[in-house]
Amino acid sequence: MNAYKKEVWFTIIFTILFLFSGHLGLFFSIFPVEGNLLGFPIMYIVPILSGWFGVLFLVIVAGKIGNQIDDDIEKENQENSKIRGEGVV
Amino acid sequence: MQNQVWQLSNPIIGIIVVFITFVVFYVVAYLSNRASTSVQDLYATKGGVGPVINGLAMAATYMSLATFLGVTALILRLQVPFVMLWIQFILAIPLITIIYGTSLRRMGAFSPTHFIRLRYGKEASIIAALWMILVSIMYALGQMIGIAVTFETLLGIPYMTGLFVGGILIVGYVTIGGMSGGTNNAAIQMVIMAIMFIIPLGAIMKAMGGTGWFFPPLLYADMVPAMLDALPTFFDYKFPTKWYFALIPALTIGALGLPHLAMRVYTSSSLRSARSAMIWFALALGLVFSATYAMGFSGVFFEYTTGIPIAPADTDKLTIILNLAYNPEWVTALVIAGAISAGLSTLSGNLLAIGALISQDIVTTLKPDLSNKTKVRLGYLSIALGGLAAVLLAIQPPKFLIVSILWAFGLAGTTNASLIIMGVWWKKANRFGAMCASAIGGIVYVVVSPFVFPKIVVSGHALTDSMGLSGGMLAVPLSFLILIVVSYITNRMPSLMSQQAITETDSLVERIHGWSDINPKRYNSIVGPLIIASIGAIVFVWAMMPWAF
Repeated sequence: MNAYKKEVWFTIIFTILFLFSGHLGLFFSIFPVEGNLLGFPIMYIVPILSGWFGVLFLVIVAGKIGNQIDDDIEKENQENSKIRGEGVV
Repeated sequence: MQNQVWQLSNPIIGIIVVFITFVVFYVVAYLSNRASTSVQDLYATKGGVGPVINGLAMAATYMSLATFLGVTALILRLQVPFVMLWIQFILAIPLITIIYGTSLRRMGAFSPTHFIRLRYGKEASIIAALWMILVSIMYALGQMIGIAVTFETLLGIPYMTGLFVGGILIVGYVTIGGMSGGTNNAAIQMVIMAIMFIIPLGAIMKAMGGTGWFFPPLLYADMVPAMLDALPTFFDYKFPTKWYFALIPALTIGALGLPHLAMRVYTSSSLRSARSAMIWFALALGLVFSATYAMGFSGVFFEYTTGIPIAPADTDKLTIILNLAYNPEWVTALVIAGAISAGLSTLSGNLLAIGALISQDIVTTLKPDLSNKTKVRLGYLSIALGGLAAVLLAIQPPKFLIVSILWAFGLAGTTNASLIIMGVWWKKANRFGAMCASAIGGIVYVVVSPFVFPKIVVSGHALTDSMGLSGGMLAVPLSFLILIVVSYITNRMPSLMSQQAITETDSLVERIHGWSDINPKRYNSIVGPLIIASIGAIVFVWAMMPWAF
């Protein structure tokens, strides 16, 4: 069950992280902030940066974890086959 | 107030540049397509495309002509809220990949509708495919309008002539090219688009007095004080939180149902390659999107600091107008070629999706014994007919070219996304739930859109309703709710559910996640669907409550 749980939690957590990263406008519409960053109003530039570099970072991490989970599922498949007494290639 | 006519004074340069661009695309399409003999080749290039090419192609398919023209037009009219709306579009491919793309690729499905057929059966897939044809045509419609507007500016010809000349050229290109030409071409187009959009933008910003012209996507902060003097409300959020929330169901979930986007995930050579492609997609798309916001900013800056008004009929030409105002004509010609290539890559994705929907998902489902040759012919015919439909619809265009595209997202979210997401993650989702969700959700979405019954709308804010934001916030959660509730009820009616069908579904769901055995504890949660149904019900009720603008 381990790889299954990992897969489900990975999908839920990364979906939420991606949504947050791409929807900072929604966040700022609830919690407005004053001030500037890099010469722009924070509520303008932070969603843009997060929607580019934030998503890029998440995509890199998600790719690595996704590959790892594939390997875990494959490993668990082989273990299950052994338990059932099937030949493993 | 002056009403300026915005077009190239010397169309010859423009024609030469566009001609060369088309020749390059035709040659690449022809060479790539010579080996395309089977129907799988036509749509999915044998799953043999590397991550860089595929990532760029994903971005090009997504970065439609809307990015070149439509987005800047609506930033001009709505300012920052539209920037916030656009930012979330980058989530599409990453979310498709992690939520269902890898599962569908593992399964060998080469379109979401194909998945729906295997998962829920023929009837459900035909309902979903019919909606998807409407989605793809509405999406293609926006591109077609953009092509016509571009040709209008390029050649100084009337909109209608531009529509037919541009439309026929492009439909011809896609019909000859197939997806193989499409994927290679799309990667080339992405590079051309980025160069032809960003470098002229740098020159425009320099001419406006900006010092950050060498990296236009992010370095225009020194123009901010002048912008605030000219238009103090530019950075205001203007709309309520509900409007920003509506972007999630209508557009983010909507993008998960778009067939031409998901198809790019299946053209990867492996799952690892698909995940690497996401990185290139995010990098390239983020760059061009940020440049688009800078272009929109420059457009507003131009209108408010120079005092030259941009007529409502010309807003979709903003990018071209800025180039005409600040850059030499040959640069504008290059920008027009870039815009056409943007339209070309997205239209090719849309038309191929229409081809696949009609020939694979409807006709082959009803008549499975057709020969391979007939299927390929049928595919080409469907592509041409889909293109023709988009041309005909563009004869009477909506006010902004992007409106029909955004509306299509909500329809895709309502009629397809719920079926795919629940189908991949919940074994208990069944065909009755799927058919009811797609049919009822889709009908509700169409009814509340201002195009059909102008008096039956959700928010009362014309642009919000016509972009499908309010309709999506109502119909997308409704679709999830119906799917879960109907599946839950019908699963308890033994006369409706055969044990064999249940076992087949369980095996399919396990297999697409990579499992070689069936474990009843996996993908069988009660809590998950209950939470989704509850959230769906709350969002649905919230959408029905008055919208305060």
